Amino acid sequence: MENVLNKEIKKIIDSCPEVGRILDEYGIGCVPCSVGSCLLKDVVGIHNLDPEKEATLMYRIEKAIYPDRNVAKPVIDATKKAAPKKITYSPPVKKLVDEHVLIKRLLALIPTIADYIETSMKVDKDLVLRCVDFIRTYADKYHHMKEEDILFKYVDEKAEIIQVMYKDHDTGRGYIRQVVEGAEKGNKAQIKQNMLAYRELLTQHIKKEDEILYPWIDRQLSTTQVGEMFRRCNEADASVGEELPKKYEKFIADLEEKFLQEVVK
Amino acid sequence: MSGCPGSRTMDFSEKTAQEGSETGKRPSQLRQWPIQMHLVSPQAPYFQGKDILLAADCTAFALGDFHKDYLKGKSIGIACPKLDSDQEVYTEKIKALIDDAKINTLTVMIMQVPCCFGLAQIAKEGAEKASRKIPIKQVVVGLEGNILSEEWI
Repeated sequence: MENVLNKEIKKIIDSCPEVGRILDEYGIGCVPCSVGSCLLKDVVGIHNLDPEKEATLMYRIEKAIYPDRNVAKPVIDATKKAAPKKITYSPPVKKLVDEHVLIKRLLALIPTIADYIETSMKVDKDLVLRCVDFIRTYADKYHHMKEEDILFKYVDEKAEIIQVMYKDHDTGRGYIRQVVEGAEKGNKAQIKQNMLAYRELLTQHIKKEDEILYPWIDRQLSTTQVGEMFRRCNEADASVGEELPKKYEKFIADLEEKFLQEVVK
Repeated sequence: MSGCPGSRTMDFSEKTAQEGSETGKRPSQLRQWPIQMHLVSPQAPYFQGKDILLAADCTAFALGDFHKDYLKGKSIGIACPKLDSDQEVYTEKIKALIDDAKINTLTVMIMQVPCCFGLAQIAKEGAEKASRKIPIKQVVVGLEGNILSEEWI
């Protein structure tokens, strides 16, 4: 099993798709991952399952890969029910999780906005560019830059999970360039396709960060590092001014008001 | 076995042997004097920019590895929220530690008994009065020296 633990997850799933299905049952969504170069041992470790659950998962994976092998089944005490793990974050990481909430509010509106653009006589270029401004300024500059310049520096940046995050950020920037190009050319299909692709990407990306990456980073941070990161994030926020998040909170609230009314109509 | 949990008589002497090594000497991790909250000054050099442990008096006796796991690398202030007088001084000192000494973090370590939560409250009030914001962690120690919870508040 040792050599399998050190194998890239995509290669394991490609050769034994059942492993992908087993991981999925445990809330480990490696199958749709665009990179898949994380090692199996890191994939399992990063999810911080309770010991009994992890033992059962590893048993099932080993049986799936080596069905003829005599693998000892872990003994599980059925009377002990593991309490669901509550995710808690350190204060600087909690701030990043809170920023996700505003980004997710835009993501929730994207299908309605995309439909509105598709059915409008003329492309509402101003609306598209204001959404792009939110994504580029709030989601990317204000939020992603704190991840890239501060948070990720506290862990091994070469770790596959961090590389996947960087790749997601880059892919997202590519979709947004396509949205802008679509708006310039008045190409509704290009705008819709790339806005929806951005929504899908960021939805999964935020879920990975909130549930997996951030708790994993938090577990590695010392108390001193938490204090230092808190100060650095506050300095980064202060450098853009307190009006910036307020401005974008208002933008999203206005957008919700407009498009909730559209849905009611 | 009734009355205030903070002063109720309990005997753990029959406790079975626990895991852990008795061999080797453990060096003290204390790097300052004084330590009692009425005696310390927020201007003391050992507080400037540091991670601070605000520990209820009993915690160091209850927790076997207090020095190694919690005091190491930190400066300390100790207090008893049940018996100490003039506790408003503590609130002001915590505010001064945050604003003037510009401490990095504050870890409040208390016993599980209800009266001990007063120390966490003092820390929160001091932090609310301060203009700077810092991360504050609360660690609750069980009567038999186990860690019951450890979380950022």
